[in-house]
Amino acid sequence: MKDHVMGAPARAINWNRLQDEKDLEVWNRLTVNFWLPEKVPLSNDVQSWATLRPEERELTIRVFTGLTLLDTIQNTVGAPVLMKDAVTPHEEAVLSNIAFMEAVHARSYSSIFSTLCSTREVDEAFRWSEENQHLQQKARLILDEYEVGSDPLKRKIASVFLESFLFYSGFYLPMHWSSRAKLTNTADLIRLIIRDEAVHGYYIGYKFQRAMEKLDEAKRNEMKDFAFALMFDLYEIEAHYAEELYDGIGLTEEVKAFLHYNANKALQNLGFEALFPPAACEVNPAILSALSTDSENHDFFSGSGSSYVIGKAVATEDEDWDF
Amino acid sequence: MLDAVRPDLDYHALNAMLNLYDDQGKIRFDADRMAARQYFLQHVNQNTVFFHSLDEKLDYLVDEGYYEKQVLDAYPREFLHEIWGAAYKAKFRFPTFLGAFKYYTSYTLKTRDGKRYLERYEDRVVMVALTLARGDQTQAMHFMHEILSGRFQPATPTFLNAGKQSRGELISCFLLRVEDNMESIGRAINSSLQLSKRGGGVALMLTNIRESGAPIKGIENQSSGVIPIMKLLEDSFSYANQLGARQGAGAVYLNAHHPDILRFLDTKRENADEKIRIKTLSLGVVIPDVTFELAKRNEDMYLFSPHDVEKVYGKAFSEISVTEKYAEMVADKRIRKKKINARAFFQTLAEIQFESGYPYIMFEDTVNRANPIAGRIAMSNLCSEILQVNQASEFDEDLGYKQMGTDISCNLGSLNIAKTMDGPDFGATVETAIRALTAVSEMSSINSVPSIRKGNDEAHAVGLGQMNLHGYLAREHIHYGSPEGIEFTSVYFAAVAFHAIRASNLLAREKGTTFKDFDTSDYANGSFFDRYVTKDWLPTLPEVERLFADVTLPTRADWEQLKADVMAHGLYNRNLQAVPPTGSISYINNSTSSIHPIVSKIEIRKEGKIGRVYYPAPFMSNENLEYYRDAYEIGPDAIIDTYAAATEHVDQGLSLTLFFPAEATTRDINRAQIHAWKKGIKTIYYVRLRQTALEGTEVQGCVSCTL
Repeated sequence: MKDHVMGAPARAINWNRLQDEKDLEVWNRLTVNFWLPEKVPLSNDVQSWATLRPEERELTIRVFTGLTLLDTIQNTVGAPVLMKDAVTPHEEAVLSNIAFMEAVHARSYSSIFSTLCSTREVDEAFRWSEENQHLQQKARLILDEYEVGSDPLKRKIASVFLESFLFYSGFYLPMHWSSRAKLTNTADLIRLIIRDEAVHGYYIGYKFQRAMEKLDEAKRNEMKDFAFALMFDLYEIEAHYAEELYDGIGLTEEVKAFLHYNANKALQNLGFEALFPPAACEVNPAILSALSTDSENHDFFSGSGSSYVIGKAVATEDEDWDF
Repeated sequence: MLDAVRPDLDYHALNAMLNLYDDQGKIRFDADRMAARQYFLQHVNQNTVFFHSLDEKLDYLVDEGYYEKQVLDAYPREFLHEIWGAAYKAKFRFPTFLGAFKYYTSYTLKTRDGKRYLERYEDRVVMVALTLARGDQTQAMHFMHEILSGRFQPATPTFLNAGKQSRGELISCFLLRVEDNMESIGRAINSSLQLSKRGGGVALMLTNIRESGAPIKGIENQSSGVIPIMKLLEDSFSYANQLGARQGAGAVYLNAHHPDILRFLDTKRENADEKIRIKTLSLGVVIPDVTFELAKRNEDMYLFSPHDVEKVYGKAFSEISVTEKYAEMVADKRIRKKKINARAFFQTLAEIQFESGYPYIMFEDTVNRANPIAGRIAMSNLCSEILQVNQASEFDEDLGYKQMGTDISCNLGSLNIAKTMDGPDFGATVETAIRALTAVSEMSSINSVPSIRKGNDEAHAVGLGQMNLHGYLAREHIHYGSPEGIEFTSVYFAAVAFHAIRASNLLAREKGTTFKDFDTSDYANGSFFDRYVTKDWLPTLPEVERLFADVTLPTRADWEQLKADVMAHGLYNRNLQAVPPTGSISYINNSTSSIHPIVSKIEIRKEGKIGRVYYPAPFMSNENLEYYRDAYEIGPDAIIDTYAAATEHVDQGLSLTLFFPAEATTRDINRAQIHAWKKGIKTIYYVRLRQTALEGTEVQGCVSCTL
């Protein structure tokens, strides 16, 4: 239990006394999944980058600056405020890992930029991200919920929407390129990010559901109403954002189907029913299949894949050396 | 089921549907067939240059400098009409989207702007056959039929390049020694650039390089060791690629008892410093038996300075058997050494394999015990299936040769096991394949690296591989790794060995010459044949007998006869078999890769040039899924046992990948390595991991996602 009452003794975290097994399970998953952008040979995409048309390049850089902004929020504001709400010391530890990995993600986009783009292009895109009203609006909506004094459960809702919904309008583009054999190493890196965000959204949603169980029905209904209202607001902004970005290359409809699919996933993480009917969520199979990070059989000579993890080291015993 | 498919989907989306179950939980094989068809309708047919006749087409392609004129000039026009007619009559169709997509993306001849296709699959096959047959019409027909039927598939460099005017080499793989002096290192980097530009994978042996901190010209702490050389090589390979057709790729091998070994492995660590991190260069470690003995006794292992070893023994570190000289070197005060714990070394190896899939492993003493050729084998190649002897070169200051040694090249091709078993004449298929591979060796002359040219001229080494083992076994309702599966593998590979040696013996007789060191080989004194003339390699299980019902298998008497023929007339090729991992060509050929199990019922294939594409295992339907357990379900032991059965009959190596769930530990990997070493496996290629999605985070209805 987290109590910072003045004068109470400081407590060391004991991972051998768990209040919630899920904390350890997720901790283990997040730590084996640790990665740094340097592992992905992004420079192999330089030739492919040159085959994109100028407007496609601009779109790609903008999408990535948008993602950088969201990761920055989650790293510097989101995960830290959630840490304060943690009900177990282990949850706090998991959230500190989440915070750090969000910083790694934000860092990764800069690795992509420095490998593929010119400084001028990148500076222009960062300026664009500061001036783009849709992007700023959705950032504002989330940040408002993170504000001091707001409800811890509402913060979790906002956080799950960010992790499981808002990122995906950006993730769509690298998945689209990779299904057309473009920027495949960048897609590998994005897939590593998706692998992390999927767990983050799931875990925060799980904690939300545990907290909901403790509420009475009226309060639960209030939370649910809040969640759907926020989703509607975010969806409206997100739809405009998608139109602005993707109308130029004619992908808006497909991106929207993908948004619907992920909105449902985000609500599912919170334990709520789907908002969009299946017909509205028919994601292009090439994109949906591209989301799965496991069991990919990559060609080592042109990429590093997204399935390697940090292994559990266990010493061999005499019986293993029986020959 | 396709009524449910949205008609507006393009072929990529149709192909991706393979990875998503339909609402009845069935795999949508029909979507992939539709994808292949749509790929032709929407893309290939519209982008293929049309010719009214074969003559018009050939004249155009020769005049415009696309086809090599000499290849076609070696045949009369009527014959060209005949062979093209026969090829088109076979009505070849790609059974999968990936097969067609891979072929048109990476192999077929295109206009110079890369926008339009100039060849269909049949054209490529005929051009390869005509090129390799060098004017021999009967031979050309044989080659064409074997390749088009799918029984024999030349490796990528041959299949991609043969008959084209501007092209890379036909050879797949090169192996270079590097000696402990600046001339040799400089020459190795130049050779890597040259070979990489021509499209081969290059492996280099760094075992003889003095370690970090070793003296130079007697001054202590001067050498920087192997890491900076690896950096130079990595950059060289990314710089040079074959006209953009294939990414340059290289590997480096180091002996486990080299003092830089831990630094070497740490280059692949997740948190390695950028200065020493190695991203795209592949690593291999050479492990002698003594390392296992030391680990068994839980002792330290000594690492020896190659510089001192060379001074003491008067020959390079790689020329010495560490197992044999271990105690002697430990006791020798003139050799500086350090020590690490042997078990900790194996654990580190496994940790790095978890993080990166590397290093490859070569079991040095196993390899040398099984080597019928005089000389030592101290390295392997980029895919760990080439195992041949080599000799050091010495250089002048201007990098000219003071003494030219021999380096290794190998050209590869693989048989489709299912098609070969179905074929009319097993022995003839193997013989034709060996003749095709020999032709590649004879037609190749790598002038940019004279030590490779010399090695090839003297050895005519080839590597006949195999693929589609799992596909074949599954079609026949036999489980991979079952006693029947293992016995089939043993009998099949013994029969291939017989016919490969028979073919090479025929070539020696026809040409009246043998490879250079035949006289000192175990073939010449007959000892190679001991295990074949003292024991039958025939089926004993009824199920396996059924499989071979229509195949004539060699008996002990046949082997006796072959032994006499070889001892009398020799062999033309120093090396005959090597089983490569077969990536690309197995998709085109509709095979499962190599003799591995499938990695997934629907494989997600990702490559630089094609992106992410989905591939169904051959012969699989919703009715026979039980025979398609994947490599992670089958586990390392059954894979190792299957490879062990094949290894006995393969003179070079086999690319053996080990598959683990991400929940495995380093101890599981170490156990598999120990099992492999005990079973006489020669090399281990990658370690691959599969992480299952955390429950609740998976993509729903996805075939390749396991829970």
